Amino acid sequence: MPKIMWKVSDNETITAQVPVGITLMEAAVQNDVPRVLGECGGCLSCATCHVRPVGQWYDRVGEPKDLEDDMLDFTEVEREDDSRLSCQITVTEDLDGLVLVVPG
Amino acid sequence: MTIWNPTDDGHADLSSHDSFVAGVPHNTFTRMRRESPLEWTEWKGGEGFWNVTRHKDILALNRNYALLSSAQGIRMEDQTYEEYLARRTFQETDPPEHTRVRMKVARAFSGPVIARFESQIRQLCRDILERALAKSEFDATREIARQLPMRMLGRILGLPDADLEWLVSKGDELIANTDPEFTDHVLDRMSSDEYRMMPFNSPAGAELYAYARQLMEEKNRAGDTGGILHMVLQPDESGSAISDREFRNFFCLLVAAGNDTTRYSIAAALHAMCRKPELLQQLKRADDGIWSTATDEFVRWASPTMYFRRTATEDFEMHGKEVRANQKVLLWFVSGNRDERQFDDPFNLDLRRSPNRHVAFGQGGPHVCLGIWLARLELKVLLQEFTKRVAAIEANGPHRFLRSNFIGGIKSLPVRISRA
Repeated sequence: MPKIMWKVSDNETITAQVPVGITLMEAAVQNDVPRVLGECGGCLSCATCHVRPVGQWYDRVGEPKDLEDDMLDFTEVEREDDSRLSCQITVTEDLDGLVLVVPG
Repeated sequence: MTIWNPTDDGHADLSSHDSFVAGVPHNTFTRMRRESPLEWTEWKGGEGFWNVTRHKDILALNRNYALLSSAQGIRMEDQTYEEYLARRTFQETDPPEHTRVRMKVARAFSGPVIARFESQIRQLCRDILERALAKSEFDATREIARQLPMRMLGRILGLPDADLEWLVSKGDELIANTDPEFTDHVLDRMSSDEYRMMPFNSPAGAELYAYARQLMEEKNRAGDTGGILHMVLQPDESGSAISDREFRNFFCLLVAAGNDTTRYSIAAALHAMCRKPELLQQLKRADDGIWSTATDEFVRWASPTMYFRRTATEDFEMHGKEVRANQKVLLWFVSGNRDERQFDDPFNLDLRRSPNRHVAFGQGGPHVCLGIWLARLELKVLLQEFTKRVAAIEANGPHRFLRSNFIGGIKSLPVRISRA
């Protein structure tokens, strides 16, 4: 199972082995990652699963599609160039070692 | 001391509004969660329905809009297709149509935009509390909880202050359309079907629509393009604009949704403080950190929107039972929020509960409450200002619940207060 890391503050990182096929939002909720709430269950209604893939990881996960891009305007912490909604990213073996910043 | 004990015999008729006048029949929900998590209710007022009562099942089904559609109504009452078309809002649609309409208003209700209203909310709360606390004995639902949500919605929509009291009462009539204390047109006792094309099946819908139209005409004449009503009326990228009927229904939805859910969360919080005085003391003593968990715990506790209904699009099996296409399925959020499988000691109000994955806002699906940030902020700021001003609160007579199996709340809460 790929290893995913969420940097939730300067001195706290949550690390978990995550099954392939679920979304990064679901993985975060299962691991009680703060501020990744996923309140709409991944239907692009809420913008509460905001993450930023660190450095070259952004290129690996790719850019947001149209609707996700629109919803990123409604995040609680203002979006940056590398912002994503983690409900739109599915866990694959390729993402082993992924590091995500949780804004806020 | 427990805050409140359910008195039902474990077999309350969930189709009857009268089953809720003594409060939520939690013994019934607890039994269903334990031994019958998907249970059928026969109903003499219409087609029967399935009840989903476990937290995990609610989450799993709420996101599955392809299987469980919102597009045939969201309350247990049956609608003809004609009525559905006349009365629907984006609450009664599925993605992708739902997403298209919701996008138009999502910005106005997003976290960052709502956060800018905090100082206005605080000022409204101060005014409301100073007026209410001039007396030491009063009805806290009426004088406090009822006052804030409509006044705040009025600010967001850019409505004149002078109209707010009238709007509060029309909102009552719309959504409390099963309680004779709020409306002359009690839904399940109506002899005529004259209002069946109106939003919420209520003549208040027609009055609200006339009000909204006039307001928009005045704003247009004055060149006023502020506020979210203007935003909703703009054509989208493909050039399609919201129709008159859609606008009327959307306006009614905003008035109704902004009116009583937050009200009953506030009322439930104040009632809990009456029954368990240490809650008030805990909030008065605590650091600011407590508000990040206390607010959602009060909302879990209150669960004012008790269920939403969906309609099965195809046959499926669950817990050994067969749900058929076109049957109604009710997701009982109020039950999910007391699920022992999800929450430790669910009948205890724990202001530090974390994580707190309650479903009072319909979390887990596309229809999650649009006003979630506003509701949380209103409740938090009101309780912050309340706890600053009050040394003690106690019940001053029996409280009374709304007659509704859809919206749960304490409609009358006599209290006695000592000021800080």
